[in-house]
Amino acid sequence: MNASRSASITIAALVGALLIGFAGLLFGAKSMHFDQALTALFWPGQGIDSIIVWTLRLPRSIAAFAGGAGLAVSGYLLQSITRNPLAAPDLTGVTAGAVVVIVFSFVFLPALSSVFYPFIGLAGGLAAAAVTFWVARGGQASPLHLGLGGITISLFLGAITTYILLLGGPQSPAVLFWLSGGLQGRSWSALVFILPWAMAGILGALFCRRALELLSLGDDAAQAMGLKLSLWKPLFLVLAVCPVAGVTPVAGPIAFIGLAVPHIVRLLRPQGAAWTILLNVAIGGFIFVTADVIARSIAAPRELPVSMVLALIGGPFFIHLVQRRNFMLGARA
Amino acid sequence: MTGLTVAARQSLDRPIWIILPLALILIVLAVFLGVADLSPAMVLDVLTGHGSENARLIITDIRIPRIATGILAGIHFAVAGLLLQTITRNPLADPSIMGISQGATLAVTIFLFFAVYWFDSDPHKVYQLPVAWLPAVGLFGGLAAGAVIFLLARRHDLGPLRITLCGIAVGAVLHALAMGLIAGWGSARIEIVLQWLSGSLYARSWEHVLFLLPFTVAGLLVLPFLRRSIDLLRFEAPVALSFGFPYRAQFTVVLMIACGLAASAVGVTGPIIFIGLIVPHLARFIAGSRFNLVLPLTLLLGAVIVTAGDLIGRLAGGAEEIPIGVVSAIGGAPILLALLRRIR
Repeated sequence: MNASRSASITIAALVGALLIGFAGLLFGAKSMHFDQALTALFWPGQGIDSIIVWTLRLPRSIAAFAGGAGLAVSGYLLQSITRNPLAAPDLTGVTAGAVVVIVFSFVFLPALSSVFYPFIGLAGGLAAAAVTFWVARGGQASPLHLGLGGITISLFLGAITTYILLLGGPQSPAVLFWLSGGLQGRSWSALVFILPWAMAGILGALFCRRALELLSLGDDAAQAMGLKLSLWKPLFLVLAVCPVAGVTPVAGPIAFIGLAVPHIVRLLRPQGAAWTILLNVAIGGFIFVTADVIARSIAAPRELPVSMVLALIGGPFFIHLVQRRNFMLGARA
Repeated sequence: MTGLTVAARQSLDRPIWIILPLALILIVLAVFLGVADLSPAMVLDVLTGHGSENARLIITDIRIPRIATGILAGIHFAVAGLLLQTITRNPLADPSIMGISQGATLAVTIFLFFAVYWFDSDPHKVYQLPVAWLPAVGLFGGLAAGAVIFLLARRHDLGPLRITLCGIAVGAVLHALAMGLIAGWGSARIEIVLQWLSGSLYARSWEHVLFLLPFTVAGLLVLPFLRRSIDLLRFEAPVALSFGFPYRAQFTVVLMIACGLAASAVGVTGPIIFIGLIVPHLARFIAGSRFNLVLPLTLLLGAVIVTAGDLIGRLAGGAEEIPIGVVSAIGGAPILLALLRRIR
């Protein structure tokens, strides 16, 4: 695919996200008319509509876009490092690692400010990823190998999380609510939380696009072209964990975006790493914004957990993907 | 996958006769030790038909059914793991990796959710949840998940690798749905779900033993007849077919048995992870070159390890016992990761 087609698809996804995001302004616990929302958006006053739009729905949609974009890039980076189709934040234990340390801090270290949660999550996610990659020999082993290592770590950390929740007693419902993965009741603070970490991953990936292109040729070829794998792979791993560390403390574990979006992008055959990253940003953001709007409008005034919506959308797609013949990215099965 | 032979490569024949007395000692210990302070003499009194009313209650209505449930569940998980590993030719197949546990979890969650939502709007009636139905509901959910995986595998004529991937995919979806439901619950009653979710033998009674027993008996009666097909299922389909072996039919039967064993156990105890993964490897390791011993050893070790893990959880946690699912997760993960690392 040439650059202009990549550009038009990227722009289409961005416009789509904008439209859905605007439609999202209309729905929710209090539904709004089109012109009401328009007025509140562009000529904000003191009315209830303006407050709803400017402190609840707008920041939430922007946060969802940033989070989805970051997670998609995170999945793309993981899949590039390992050349493994199953490498995604949720399947390599990164998300579970971030969750378990944050739940631990929430229950046992209540004095700790939530400002530190992204850093804690980063440490936990990196540790879990390190174990998975150690087990899978840096992704050199078969795809199944990495998948099984990641699932093992995720199951293990999930059991620990459940136990911490059992010990947590009265605090558990609050933690569980967060665990369901959603942006309910989030305002600009959520965006402030997510944005720097998502941007770190996205901009970092864009900055290193040359190395990513070399990596896509395969480890041996990349090394022959002078790419220092022992330097770049850990760097990309850190970049991949950053968005997860930023999103998880705010929205809980968000599954499937990091897994499915890079595959969708690959189906579109973009030209070069830069367009691949931009397409991941646009489509990842679009999907999360859409899922968030569905989650809060389908059963309004109640909200569905966004993780359920994503599982219902992403799950069948994932299962379909697994069955495709050319799923293995040329890795040996 | 060459990993199947990792354990088998150690052809040193390890003494097996040690395990049987060890198992017996362990079960006796499990009867005698517990949080309730009963002296060994009191326990002996109960076992010989005397003893106080209170002690008898603790021993015969709490400890022994609990141990029996653990033994049966251990056998179920271990044998299901062995069968799944055989038919998917993947050394790391297990009910919790193939999505069966997640199916049971989702079914139980949905069931409790609707039970609370429809029948029990009074927040004070925490204990009136229809907990007695959970094993049946869990069984149903596990079987349904197994059926989905089987149908997907059949429709696309998937090889073992893709079946495993399908299992992982289905499991991930079901898990996400269950988690969303639990979290969207917004009620203090989640504790029951959490307790079930962590895999626990707490307060398991004779009813649970009776629920499991038919599955155990049926499974164990059928298994001897399937020994040949389990041997042949290790091969690729064309090879097995060349022996005149009805590959698909046998594959289906073995998968169904594995699902039945795993789903019934998950229904009763909740997901006890890693038992189905580790026990068959341990059995192969101990059996060495004596392949016909792998199945009986798997049975025995499954029972032993769950009993031991539960005993540890009961004693280590004090009044707030550590659920067996957590004990097995903590004990099992390092073993598994080391195992994975050895497979190339």
